[in-house]
Amino acid sequence: MIAPYSTAIPESNLLSRWEVRHKLIGLMALIFSFSFIRELRLLPLVILVSVVIYSLSQLSFAYYWSRIRLPGLFLLMLALILPFSAGNTVLASFGPLALKLEGTLSVLLIAVKFLCIFAIVLVLFAGTPLQKIVGALRSLGLPALLAEMLIFTNRYIYQLITDLRQTQVATGLRGFKGRSVKALKPLAYIVGTLLVRSHNQSERVFQAMTLRGYGEESLVLKAEQVQIFDRLALAAALLLATGFVFLQLNFFPAS
Amino acid sequence: MHIPDGILPVSVALSGYAAAGGLTWLSLNRIKKKFKNPRELIPRASLLTAAFFVAALIHIPVPPTSVHLILSGLMGVILGWFAFPAILVGLFFQAVMFQHGGLTTMGINACLMGIPALLAGALFRTRRYFGVNNKVTNGLLAFLGSFLALVSGALAAALLLIYTITAQLDVAAERAAIITLAGAHLPVALLEGVFTALVVLFLLRVKPELLEMEEK
Amino acid sequence: MSSVLSVKDLVFGYPGQAAVLDAISFKVQRGERVGLIGPNGAGKTTLFLLICGIVSAESGKVEISGIPVLKGRFNPAVGMVFQHTADQLICPTVSEDIAFGPQNMGLSVEEVAGNVNRAAGATGIIPLLERVPHQLSSGEQRLVALAGVLAMQPELLILDEPTADLDMRYRRRLVGMLKSMEQKTMLTASHDLEFILEVCTRVIVLNQGVIQADGEPVTVMANRCLMEEHGLELPHSLTAAWHRHGTETDCS
Repeated sequence: MIAPYSTAIPESNLLSRWEVRHKLIGLMALIFSFSFIRELRLLPLVILVSVVIYSLSQLSFAYYWSRIRLPGLFLLMLALILPFSAGNTVLASFGPLALKLEGTLSVLLIAVKFLCIFAIVLVLFAGTPLQKIVGALRSLGLPALLAEMLIFTNRYIYQLITDLRQTQVATGLRGFKGRSVKALKPLAYIVGTLLVRSHNQSERVFQAMTLRGYGEESLVLKAEQVQIFDRLALAAALLLATGFVFLQLNFFPAS
Repeated sequence: MHIPDGILPVSVALSGYAAAGGLTWLSLNRIKKKFKNPRELIPRASLLTAAFFVAALIHIPVPPTSVHLILSGLMGVILGWFAFPAILVGLFFQAVMFQHGGLTTMGINACLMGIPALLAGALFRTRRYFGVNNKVTNGLLAFLGSFLALVSGALAAALLLIYTITAQLDVAAERAAIITLAGAHLPVALLEGVFTALVVLFLLRVKPELLEMEEK
Repeated sequence: MSSVLSVKDLVFGYPGQAAVLDAISFKVQRGERVGLIGPNGAGKTTLFLLICGIVSAESGKVEISGIPVLKGRFNPAVGMVFQHTADQLICPTVSEDIAFGPQNMGLSVEEVAGNVNRAAGATGIIPLLERVPHQLSSGEQRLVALAGVLAMQPELLILDEPTADLDMRYRRRLVGMLKSMEQKTMLTASHDLEFILEVCTRVIVLNQGVIQADGEPVTVMANRCLMEEHGLELPHSLTAAWHRHGTETDCS
């Protein structure tokens, strides 16, 4: 279900070698510019840019498909509701339900934007180890407390998932099925136990770390060397992002 | 309710980030004022954040199906001001690990979950007026805080979505959509309320200090 | 004597890797206390997971008292105490935790109470019944977990590394308790070879997915060459006997 965090993009890939801060700023700017689009006629360009970037990352379509299933559910819900509720121009009628043009176009706009943004998000996170992302965010102004929380939390998520699985196996062996309303109390006990054990463990972790000098200074993360390629790639991403915003504002201001 | 990318206008998404940034600053400020050495609390807050993240992965039965709980109310009760950064961290990991929840909308989602969580925590702390060990008070306040946290979060999300997606819904359709979206969350809100009360009562028996982190 | 556990031609492995269990077969009769020893990665815990129906084998059969084990099906005839007992304890009090299994079996309130008292009595933890499990020492927690499993009155009791992180006091208590449960059929895996010697009536050496030896504990475990060949060593209490009676034989 959850595999330990790992980078799916090979280290030799261009996007893997893009310095993290530059990559973060560049791709986030692009994501926001996609979000800014309200004109359907700009969507083919959005799709083209996403497809090119995704292809450059060497990630497979199977990987995209495996990741989109859960988040895509919300989109599906919207796709089923909006076309029948928003707008006035009726395209077709199915008994009491009327398929409306405005709603359908709304869904198309949202869906394409979501799918393209998702591709860029995948490229961003599948190509960068968490430590580097946190380091980049820290250098961009993320408070030290939050940065440390991110690193610590990541460290313990996988262990707690293993602990939870063991508990589920152990309770299953004692006949617990977790499928009826009666399961609510034992499940609350399991969550409570998880919290208690985590709290107890955190005290031991803190003691062990204090013995190794924790608390004297904040987490120090190494800054990477910036190459010309990093700056050029950032410039390209910012140019694209600005381009989209410019096109939307100047050529399709009414939408 | 997590709002994914691509739906909200950029202005709203950016306002969400600004608001989340402000609330994070406020939370961190409160934490620094309250605790002499806040870095001491990082292992604890992080482990609890990880525990909440993992707990939210559990399937809670709602026959004939099952749901995942958000537990924002419980986070407010146990973590107090730490609940806001914890929720932000949780959302970050959801985006990084599952690409779920939205990156442009992380700020907005943090506010939709975090503000109710902080309020649920504040409501729970009024238990000191009724006796800190009173089982009924603890259970009731935990239930109310969590239930209201979820309802208000769902309502706010519904309002946001309805008013920003399209301006072409007529008033009646808008009202109907808001009621439906928010109403669909009522059973889950009740479930979260009951579940939070059960966990709080468990902690009251087993480790009451976990409920007192914010009161010291 | 009827066999409580029957394992026949059991095969289990991960894709692309050598088989963890390579067509192993053995039976455990009622009242036997079998110790499973072998190096880390030998497949002991995997075997337990197969017997409990947590995972399913590629081929082969596992039967408890003649009934095939099905993956995912609750089978109170088998009870397992995990190495990390904290994973097993979830309730606010010891008595509630012991009652958890019998309640899930659908027993009546009186039956549950009876089972809880008997199990707590057998493990000597009646004074702990109203305590919070997570506030107990690791030894006490081990006994609580054992009581929780005994309360389901399983036909086969499985113990995975039962003496891990126990101090001498609780280790002695556990040894005494298990030896006194003469009618209980037991399968245990442990690196504590002295524990195996004291408690078990039979020992199986598992290594490289295959049963390497199966017999009386003293006979099997006094064989220095066999033990060393499979990543083990002579239990200390048998080392003295070896030096007195044996010669330094070349094991190659």
